[in-house]
Amino acid sequence: MAYNILIVDDSNIVRAVIKKTLDLAGISVNELYEAANGEEGLQQLKQHWVDLVFSDINMPVMSGVEMFNRMQEDEDLKGIPVVVVSTEGSKTRIDELLQHGIRAYIRKPFTPESLRDIVGGILGD
Amino acid sequence: MTTGNQAMLARVFSQVAENLAFMFVEPQEDEPLPAPAGPCVAAEMTFTGQFPGTLTLAVPMALCPVIAANVLGVEPDDELAMAQPYDALNELLNVTCGNLLTALAGEEPVFDLTIPAVRELDGKAWNALENDSETVGLVIEEHPVLLKLTL
Repeated sequence: MAYNILIVDDSNIVRAVIKKTLDLAGISVNELYEAANGEEGLQQLKQHWVDLVFSDINMPVMSGVEMFNRMQEDEDLKGIPVVVVSTEGSKTRIDELLQHGIRAYIRKPFTPESLRDIVGGILGD
Repeated sequence: MTTGNQAMLARVFSQVAENLAFMFVEPQEDEPLPAPAGPCVAAEMTFTGQFPGTLTLAVPMALCPVIAANVLGVEPDDELAMAQPYDALNELLNVTCGNLLTALAGEEPVFDLTIPAVRELDGKAWNALENDSETVGLVIEEHPVLLKLTL
């Protein structure tokens, strides 16, 4: 099965790396959408059906956490799983994010195997 | 910054450069750093939390598209690597900072990191940074690299 995926990160390079890693991990992608911040991410989510969101936390205009909180207020978006991809290493903050409903957390730098395990765990292999 | 912190900074940066960009860092123990070929830039970010600080990563501009190409796994003259030459430098700094704070403070404290910003460095500014006792000097692909953690 191929998935529609949204990548939200202010770095073109990081978005390109995630795309490439999805490919290396053997994850079938139908449509891949991109956004440079949380606000653009919400716009993409309102225009397209998305199965899974990868999002950075620390971005200009709107952070990944704020985007996630806005998604929870929207009946159409609250069920879309969000995976945070960040340099964040604080267990305290990661636990906080997971308690708020973030589905998984990937710390940079990451491997195709870790990405595949996480996507498989959320969407099924 | 203590010598221990400098060693940790060098170790964390080397691991991140290897894992993120497949680039191998050469330590410069007693040897002087090679002079930068051409103009240089510094990426910088600050953090607040258990302790505040600033992390700076300075490199010759010529190294930026090489880092970008390595991160992307493409040739240095690839369109994306050439179009966003500082994007990968910022990301290298960002990932180093996140990993360094965990190495220094452990997994419990929460830090807030700013978004990295790049500025140009003239020869005088490069020399001042290189000669700063808190700066760690390394070499990647024959280019000098300066790292400074200010706490």
